[in-house]
Amino acid sequence: MAGRVISRDATSSAQTAPGTRASGSACAEWREEVAALTRRWFLQLVRERLNLLLSVTQPAIWLVFFGSALGRTIDRDVIGTSNYVGFMLAGVIAFTVVTNTVTGAMPMLWDKETGYLDKLLSMPIARSSLIVSRFLFQFVLGTAQVLLVFVVAVATSVDVASGVLGGVAILAIAGLLSMALTALSTALAYRVPSHGTFFAIMGVVTLTVVFLSNAFVPLDSMPPWMMIVARLNPLTYAIEAMRILVLEGWDVTVMRALIVLGLFAGGSLAVGAFEFRRHTGERTR
Amino acid sequence: MTGVIETDSLTRSFGDRLAVDRLDLRAEAGDIFGLLGPNGAGKTTTIRMLTTLLTPSSGAARICGFDVSREPGAVRRRIGYVMQSVPWQVNRLLRAREIVEIEAALHHVPQRVRRERVDEALDLLGLLPHADRLIGEFSGGMHKRLDLACGLLHRPELLVLDEPTLGLDVQSRHRIWDYILGLRDEGVTVLLATNYLDEADRLCNRLTIMDNGRSVVSGSPAELKHAVAADVIQVATSSPERLRDAIAHEPWVKNTILTDSNEVHIYVKDASQALPAVMSLSLANDLGLERVTYTQPSLDDVFLLHTGRELRDLEVGA
Repeated sequence: MAGRVISRDATSSAQTAPGTRASGSACAEWREEVAALTRRWFLQLVRERLNLLLSVTQPAIWLVFFGSALGRTIDRDVIGTSNYVGFMLAGVIAFTVVTNTVTGAMPMLWDKETGYLDKLLSMPIARSSLIVSRFLFQFVLGTAQVLLVFVVAVATSVDVASGVLGGVAILAIAGLLSMALTALSTALAYRVPSHGTFFAIMGVVTLTVVFLSNAFVPLDSMPPWMMIVARLNPLTYAIEAMRILVLEGWDVTVMRALIVLGLFAGGSLAVGAFEFRRHTGERTR
Repeated sequence: MTGVIETDSLTRSFGDRLAVDRLDLRAEAGDIFGLLGPNGAGKTTTIRMLTTLLTPSSGAARICGFDVSREPGAVRRRIGYVMQSVPWQVNRLLRAREIVEIEAALHHVPQRVRRERVDEALDLLGLLPHADRLIGEFSGGMHKRLDLACGLLHRPELLVLDEPTLGLDVQSRHRIWDYILGLRDEGVTVLLATNYLDEADRLCNRLTIMDNGRSVVSGSPAELKHAVAADVIQVATSSPERLRDAIAHEPWVKNTILTDSNEVHIYVKDASQALPAVMSLSLANDLGLERVTYTQPSLDDVFLLHTGRELRDLEVGA
């Protein structure tokens, strides 16, 4: 190994000239960074086949489980439709999005705790590419899940009232919700002193958020206090809109949900960006 | 001519603890510059400031003329950083080649030479035969070599190595030493933090010895050792204080130090003349000698002379 020559080619001198960039514009570099980091996430996912399999099929499994096991015990007058799987579909999608946010922030937590984040931060990359790559990964994974659960739902018993376009709207709603929640859980991952606190908080928050929404029970059949809390829960808006798209078709509620979720996602992204900058600011100020 | 590393009273405190205290470093192009000191001396904190991961509390540091606080982006483009502990667990499901490819992209190695650089880096550290293995199967030495390979992909002007051989077996250490010596021949500037005396002595052409966040002394290993004295006589005895008192005022004794391991180190100009005198003084004072050896001064003696403590003991104690 000793005495081996590291070839010094023309590119190395161009690269080290003061003030010049290695290749292309800042924008091209940013795309390159996001692509490389996203590749890292996907490689990790596909190497764990069981993880990949369960990640993608999980919502479909939930749907089948809830649909067939609980469907018979549910009072149709309470849920307002005879199609329990159709009623559940929106809840299962929302539940999946919530579960994903926990697993989605976990690798960020590991990178931070093991010091790999430090290594990345010592490289000439934009801070935003770290976050954006994870969002991109989560988005692709989430889309795959929702598409599969749709196929399963349609194949079993559900007839989506709003048609194919409604399916696209449901994807958009799930995407917005996912973006908002991932931003918040990422913010928490950077904020907490260690992963113990992260999981403790997430354990309580995720279940509370799901149960204090209309995921499994319609708002009308809740006690008044619970209904008020559920009305303040962004998850409720997402589920309500998705449910209407599945069972009834297009409605003004869908618009309202998109606005509420858009605002929620905007606010969450701001919080996420603030926490990320706070965590790395010590270094990059 | 600006140096590759220049620091000006570089200081970092955590609460009221001063981790690095008014440090002045200067490394020129082509130097293998060593930061030698026990654990907790402030080496890693210094490196974290130089690699833009930590903001200095006061003072300044420039890498290739760029200020680490004001122009961190320019600094990051010019450095390669190999961390003390390789966080490989987060990438255990990736193949070695994939990791190198990803890091090459993150360092913006031009597309047209990327493939060639990746192969070259893997080959240089003897990892080409293992390029398609998952790194979860790698040994500690291989992880370190993989990290070293990544550090050079983008031809940095400064390669920062934090304890590159910590916890490795002898064979891996020698392999990495050979590699660093190869870099010296190529004219790459290296900042090497270590608490191994032999490593610093063997690899570095300039050294700053650190203790408790401060620079103790700087110079080339030869200069530093030369400043100690010509020779060191190490005497193990049951009553070291009495021996020291008995010989301290002899004209041929330059200095004496009582070590933590209860030895007396006697610094003399010429050990062959001083040895008989040490023996006869011990006999005259009825002091039992357990062992008497003499050596050329090592960096351990340099550290001992300037801090009153032995680096070896600190290593063991750490």
